[in-house]
Amino acid sequence: MANTFTVLYFASAHTYTGKSEDAVPGPMTVSKLFPYLEEKYPGFRKKVLSSCALSVNLDYVDLAEDAEKEIQNGDEVGIIPPVSSG
Amino acid sequence: MAERSEPPVRAFEGIKSIEDRNTFVGLTYDKLDITASIDRVRSPKAGAVVAFVGMTRDNFEGKPVSTLEYTTYTPLALRTLSTIVTSLKSTNSGSLHSISVTHRLGIVPIGEDSIVITLSTSHRAEGWRIAEECLELVKDKVEVWKREWFVDGGVWRANRDGGKGVPVEEAEDFKEAGGVPVEYLEQEDR
Repeated sequence: MANTFTVLYFASAHTYTGKSEDAVPGPMTVSKLFPYLEEKYPGFRKKVLSSCALSVNLDYVDLAEDAEKEIQNGDEVGIIPPVSSG
Repeated sequence: MAERSEPPVRAFEGIKSIEDRNTFVGLTYDKLDITASIDRVRSPKAGAVVAFVGMTRDNFEGKPVSTLEYTTYTPLALRTLSTIVTSLKSTNSGSLHSISVTHRLGIVPIGEDSIVITLSTSHRAEGWRIAEECLELVKDKVEVWKREWFVDGGVWRANRDGGKGVPVEEAEDFKEAGGVPVEYLEQEDR
C-alpha cells in the first residue's frame, strides 16, 4: 500500500460507493481527487461530493484555496458530508 | 424492509474520550449515563448545573421513524468536540467551571438519549446560554451523521439545510441506477 493514500467514506458517501474506504494511487493534488472519484463512481460528484468537505490527516482542506496541495501516499483523506449530530 | 437485520459495526467498545482540565468530550455505543455526566461537572464554585439531554424522536415532520442510528469519524469528531468545549471554556472563563458533552453512536432506540451536555456555572443564566450555544456548535460542526429509517427506506439527515439531508429521492435514484439499496448497506465507523 506504499503507493496509495486512503479515502474514507461516511454517511451518504458510504451509501453511494457501497464502501467504507478506497486505496487511491498517489500522490495527487486536492483538485484532482473529486474528478478521480467521479470517474470511479459516476454521478458521485453531483449527488454527494458537491456538498462534502474534505479532511487530510484530520485537518480540513479548502477545496479552492488548497487546490494545489498534494495528498501524499499514506495520508488519510475523509469525505465529510453535511453533519447531523444531536 | 427498512429494518436492518444486523447491528451496525462498532468501531470501539466502551467510551472514547478526550479529557482536559474541567472539560470532557466522549463518544460511546452504550446507553448514556446522565448522572455520571452531572457528577463529572460538579464544582464547589458553581451555583448551577445545566443539563441538556437530546432524545431520538419517533417521527420526522410527522413521518414515522422506525429506527435511528448515528455513525461517526471517531478521531475527527472527538477533536471537533474538544475544540468546541475548550473554546467555550476560554470565552467564559469567569463563569463556566466545567463542561461535558457525550454523544451516543450506533442504533439508538426511539425515546432513548442521543446526546448529553452538562455544565456548571456560577449562576444559572449563563448556564442556560452556554448550554444552548454548545448544542448549536455541536449540531453545526461535529462529524456525526444521523440516519433515519422510515417504512420506505433510509435517509441521511443534515442539520445545516433545515433537515432535508440526502433525501429519499436520492435513495430511489440509487435503486433505479442499479445501485445497492440503501437499507442493506453496512456502515463501518472509524
